[in-house]
Amino acid sequence: MKLSLLFLVVSFLAILLQTTFLHLLPLGPIVPDLILVLCVYWGLNHPTVGAVLGSFLLGYSVDVFSSPVLGLNAFAMSLVFLAVYLSSRCIWIHNPFLSAAVVFCASWVKAIALVMVGTLFLAVDGLWMGVFKYIFLEALVAAMLAPAVFSLLRHGQSCLGEVRAPH
Amino acid sequence: MLAFLRRNQILLASFFCVSFSLFILAAAARGRLQRDPIGPLLLGLMRPLQLGAQVTVAKLKELQRGYGTLRGLAAEKDKLERRVTELEAERNRLLEVEAVNRRLRELLELRSQLPPGSLTAKVISNSASTWFRSFILDKGSADGLLKGMAVVSPLGAVGQVVGLTLRSAKVLLVTDPHSGVDVIVQRSRARGIVSGSLEGAPVMKYVKRSEDIQQGDRLITSGLDGIFPKGVLVGSVTNVRKKSFGLFQYVEVSLAVDPSRIEEVLLVSAETSGP
Repeated sequence: MKLSLLFLVVSFLAILLQTTFLHLLPLGPIVPDLILVLCVYWGLNHPTVGAVLGSFLLGYSVDVFSSPVLGLNAFAMSLVFLAVYLSSRCIWIHNPFLSAAVVFCASWVKAIALVMVGTLFLAVDGLWMGVFKYIFLEALVAAMLAPAVFSLLRHGQSCLGEVRAPH
Repeated sequence: MLAFLRRNQILLASFFCVSFSLFILAAAARGRLQRDPIGPLLLGLMRPLQLGAQVTVAKLKELQRGYGTLRGLAAEKDKLERRVTELEAERNRLLEVEAVNRRLRELLELRSQLPPGSLTAKVISNSASTWFRSFILDKGSADGLLKGMAVVSPLGAVGQVVGLTLRSAKVLLVTDPHSGVDVIVQRSRARGIVSGSLEGAPVMKYVKRSEDIQQGDRLITSGLDGIFPKGVLVGSVTNVRKKSFGLFQYVEVSLAVDPSRIEEVLLVSAETSGP
């Protein structure tokens, strides 16, 4: 229960940061994707049905705040969670640098998912070009954030005494 | 069945979410999603937080802008300081050029007043001895300089050439005790010889007791020594003493030229400067 509350607060915080403070960073149009990092964390360290729903809702909230149509980011985040969860079942990822690499890859998964469903459902021209312009930098920034965010979340979990061993 | 569901609940939930989001997306893309129950709730929940954050963000942006402006100002200040330094150096150079120009113009003016055949030269070194007052010029016999030439500046008499090499000349200054310049008092035309002194100020020698000479009188060259042209200012009388005995008066002189400040001079040959 406490952990769910923690994740709820963290989720709200991530949305709040991503919609306000993180725009202050001098990264041009790129906004560090804390929500993606959170989904990856859940996929790696806290794979539960609640985390699946959380990823979906986080993606949905991004849609609510940013996307022209609902479901775009919800799909991407759900897919990211699924991909990370499946990876974590195959490989042992408990190293901050490896987790950063996973976030980097997850960022690509998210971008490709967004482009694919965007092309399929929205028929937006030039989406590929726009995504490829920023995807590398966005993935890099997210990967750089990952170790710190993971460490904070682990610390929060350990404070609550609810650290789980990775699968 | 239940065990299968429990074992694969995460996978199943994920697939459900992926499928459900695709369903929402398809519906939204076709405009069939009439009501969104989560969106308004989420927006309502986040609104006060975002409003509060926005105030902070605005302040942070202001700070950021201020910092940016400060950084810009600091860079501008550095740039301006560099520019000021450059301009200062340029100004010093121009002032020096102007000073040289002024001196040379004065020399040129003087040269036009002097007999033809006069030469200009630069002072390249000063006396190496305490006992002698002299300096070295950058021109010598190869440039047409002759021993015994008078050395003058726009301010007055400086000395005479006493030694020559091919490319340099030694000038004995009027402040040297061994020098002597035939002068007359401009006001009363009284004659005498101005010579340097190691003891103090230069003196005007051989002025008869009967001659009219006063403090402040200007002394000019008489042209009778065969060295200096007539009428060149030598200095002015600063002190006159008549003792109760002797043939001559004691006259102290303040020279018109401070040889230590001279950089360029004119040289006038004895032949052309003669009376």
